[in-house]
Amino acid sequence: MRESISAVVARNDVWEGVAASEPYEVAWASEAVIFLRNLASTGTPETARAWVQISPDGLHWTDEGTLLAIPREGDLTSVRIRGFGAYLRVMTVLPEGSSFKALLTFSLKE
Amino acid sequence: MSTRPAHWGDPELSKFDPLPRIMAYDKFSDGMRGYTALVGNYEYTLDNVLPGFRDMNQPMLSNGSHWETGTHGALSGTYALKIASRPRPRSVNMALKRMTFRKACPIQIEAYFAIKPEATELLLSDLDVGAFGLVLDLQDNERRIMPHVRYLNALGGERQQKWQYKSVLEMPHEVGGDASTGETRSHHHFGADGWVDVPGGAQELCYNEVPTKYNWHYFKLGFDLASMSFTHLQCNDRVFDVSTLEPMRMGAWPNLNCMLNVCWTIESDSNKRAFLYLDSVLVSGDWADA
Repeated sequence: MRESISAVVARNDVWEGVAASEPYEVAWASEAVIFLRNLASTGTPETARAWVQISPDGLHWTDEGTLLAIPREGDLTSVRIRGFGAYLRVMTVLPEGSSFKALLTFSLKE
Repeated sequence: MSTRPAHWGDPELSKFDPLPRIMAYDKFSDGMRGYTALVGNYEYTLDNVLPGFRDMNQPMLSNGSHWETGTHGALSGTYALKIASRPRPRSVNMALKRMTFRKACPIQIEAYFAIKPEATELLLSDLDVGAFGLVLDLQDNERRIMPHVRYLNALGGERQQKWQYKSVLEMPHEVGGDASTGETRSHHHFGADGWVDVPGGAQELCYNEVPTKYNWHYFKLGFDLASMSFTHLQCNDRVFDVSTLEPMRMGAWPNLNCMLNVCWTIESDSNKRAFLYLDSVLVSGDWADA
């Protein structure tokens, strides 16, 4: 049996300006589907993009290369990634006056 | 000739001191083992979660990889369950396993753990972790009982290094805003106020010099589900007097009968994330079905 975890990394967190999810350790996993829901919006956050970052230590981050659309209020977006090392997060930079309540889920599999 | 307990011959269990029946043995190198995040109670929208619960998110499986040493690993394997606070003072996170009990009997919770702050400074950093603790959430047919113990490491940057318990109740709140149905409530029971020192409860743990070294510690809590009282509190070589310790006691809440939740908390005292690592947790009891 392969271990699997759906980790809700951000639950109703308000993302505005420069925003990033909390560091999440994924060294045991070989694949991830990242789901992002927008529970409530101010302005137009969907005009920005989020992107995936990876880290060897949870402190220093580099772009993994995958972009993730920010959904409109009530919607859901996703990306699939593999081979991401020890730590994973999602970050974004939102336009001034735009924010949203993020529900970010990493569906990870061994 | 001395008789050795049978479990001493088992390399997995020999480091524990369980009661006769094992209710759950969770070695986190085998996975998450049913430990999950706590979500504060709510109706209609997550906006109605009480503020003290909003920082909480999922625990993770950690191999303890650091910038200057690489992977640390755990005690019994590569992975530990890691519970992380947010990077702000008094931010609390919790991970728990939800069970029920078959008989009101003596139980024990044993664990191998380590606490560390995030290694964002090349300094000792031993006062960045605020506290870690164990809460049991129990209910029989008449009462909801919540034993709370914690190790208070630092408060406002001041060294504390002592065990505490909490028995005062926190006010329950309805969680549906103006449209509350009255069927769901929430209480911030692990909040900062009301903690009392365990008599003789001062203890210095093995912090070990830098944030990226973990030394695994043994913890044991004993509690009797029949009398709903503490029977044991131990960390490594120290066994504390529990005769004055009291759990929170309240009337039964709806739909919680026979609840046995094992809840671990971590709290920061600084602008760094605080981490509780659990290598393994063993819940045992002493009962026979009638």
